[in-house]
Amino acid sequence: MLAKADYFKPIDPALQNAEFIAVPSGGFWRDVWDRFKVNKRAFVGLVVLTVIVLTAMIGPFVSPYAYDGMGTEINAGMSLKHIFGTDALGRDLFTRSLYGVRISLMVGFLTTFINMFLGVIYGGIAGYVGGRTDMLMMRIVDVIYAVPSLLYIILLMLIFGANVGSIMLGMCVSGWIGTSRMMRTQVIALKEREFALAAYTEGASAPRILFRHIFTNALGPLLVEATMAIPQAIFQEAFLSFIGMGISAPQASLGTLAQDARMYMTVYPNQMFCPVSVICIIIFALNFISEGLSEALDPTKRH
Amino acid sequence: MGEVTPVVKVRHLKKYFMANKRFLKPSDYVKAVDDVTFDIYPGETVGLVGESGCGKSTLARSIIRIYEPSAGKVVYNGTDITHLSNAKLWQYRNKMQMIFQDPYASLDPRYTVGEIIGEPMEIYKMYDKAGREAKVQELLEQVGLKPDHISRYPHEFSGGQRQRIGIARTLALDPDFILCDEPISALDVSIQAQIINLLEKLQDERGLSYLFIAHDLTMVRHISHKIGVMYLGHLVEFGDADEVYSNPLHPYTKALLSAAPIADPNTARSVNRIKLEGEVPSPIHTPEGCPFCTRCPECRPECRITPPVMANQNGHKAACYKYV
Repeated sequence: MLAKADYFKPIDPALQNAEFIAVPSGGFWRDVWDRFKVNKRAFVGLVVLTVIVLTAMIGPFVSPYAYDGMGTEINAGMSLKHIFGTDALGRDLFTRSLYGVRISLMVGFLTTFINMFLGVIYGGIAGYVGGRTDMLMMRIVDVIYAVPSLLYIILLMLIFGANVGSIMLGMCVSGWIGTSRMMRTQVIALKEREFALAAYTEGASAPRILFRHIFTNALGPLLVEATMAIPQAIFQEAFLSFIGMGISAPQASLGTLAQDARMYMTVYPNQMFCPVSVICIIIFALNFISEGLSEALDPTKRH
Repeated sequence: MGEVTPVVKVRHLKKYFMANKRFLKPSDYVKAVDDVTFDIYPGETVGLVGESGCGKSTLARSIIRIYEPSAGKVVYNGTDITHLSNAKLWQYRNKMQMIFQDPYASLDPRYTVGEIIGEPMEIYKMYDKAGREAKVQELLEQVGLKPDHISRYPHEFSGGQRQRIGIARTLALDPDFILCDEPISALDVSIQAQIINLLEKLQDERGLSYLFIAHDLTMVRHISHKIGVMYLGHLVEFGDADEVYSNPLHPYTKALLSAAPIADPNTARSVNRIKLEGEVPSPIHTPEGCPFCTRCPECRPECRITPPVMANQNGHKAACYKYV
């Protein structure tokens, strides 16, 4: 039987005062990066996306084929010469895919960025100021939202012609509304929280409270929305190109490549498979990054 | 303290919230704070007691201008700050600070302790970056935390420690008046005493004035020099802490004090508990006369017609017809 004295052992005096000393904090974004890079999936996602973006940027200069250069080898399979094969006109699909990635990513990122930027500012002001201003601002939003976005795109194409620019502009006219509504509800909920009130009693200005305290706390849901908006924009561009209101031939986006391959899908599946898997990889990478980011932005979530 | 001027004078302060907006009819208002007048002197703690929903927190938030008062005024050291623009209010803001009730909600989870405590100094452009850091570490030590806690996040701390961080933040601007909006009600009893002792220590060292809001009557008596009792948005009694506790004037105060639990069961049995009938009236449709007239055991006919004014008995005031 144990003697009573053995129940508890005195702690080693060296450990007694071993207070955990934290590493010096290098500011908010530094901490976010530190938390982000330990998340394996998110980090892999970031690496994959970076590789795709770099390949799309550099690739066309290195590639021996032009995106619209036709050749004699039509409907070739995948080989070392033509990595993704060629299409019915003998164009190298890998080179075309690289151009497609450029256009798709540009449409996805740029429209999402513009929509987020406008939506956060508009919704932030409406929610923070409140009252009549809020009422008026949200009714304006309702009016803009009442017109289908396809109509804006068609109208803009009449003016600026069928190109990537007018597609993006058309997507931005009403695309920011979802974000602004979401930001508004976030602001209304967060501005009554005690940390926002504390910042107010400290003499913080309205923009400081809005962007330093409310925006950073609303970033999680906003980022989730943004990462869902990027693939959505990529798909919308593909759809518009298909119905003949987007990128016109011989230019290519990942969407048009998939649409072109539709006819030969059973005979030459590589023509469909290759651009679609590029879309899939991009979207997977984006989702992993967004998941990692929303965790990294919230210091209370640790692995 | 006849010669000393009050740090904060509250005069006929009212805060009404619009409850129901009606078309072509006058709207309903929630009378959260109705005609409250009192003074807070330097180095003094004024305790504010009253049941939930009686307007204590609204009063505190109206004093510090989180809410715009509907009527009346708040005077800080001789300056009427009730209607100052935000830009002008800025030079008084640093002198009035607030400790919040919930230490889990009052610290922004996205920032480190150093950034949270340093923010007010950053806003008021006090010191450079290194100077602020040194000051934050000094403040952390003053409130009983370790200087190397500076780079941690709020969620790594316990409730009591978080409240200490909140206190350090209010001290960063070197205020002379601090509103404590139920700073201890979210903490457990052993921690409550620590926080109270810390507040008292800081008061001795810095000559702070407190407006201390709490539910716990014994704790309020312990820390306060003066006590205000609120009922349905009205201040019904105000006086020296011991005076109010040993000789309550207003019938509501009597009932409230008799409801406070007593640790000794023998004494507790001998105390005559005053049981009030009915419910607190809705703050939208308040009684015409005295706010307490619907439940008061000593109600007289005149109580139901016009509200009583504050009667002063050697500095101990009560709003009741018994003393007019």
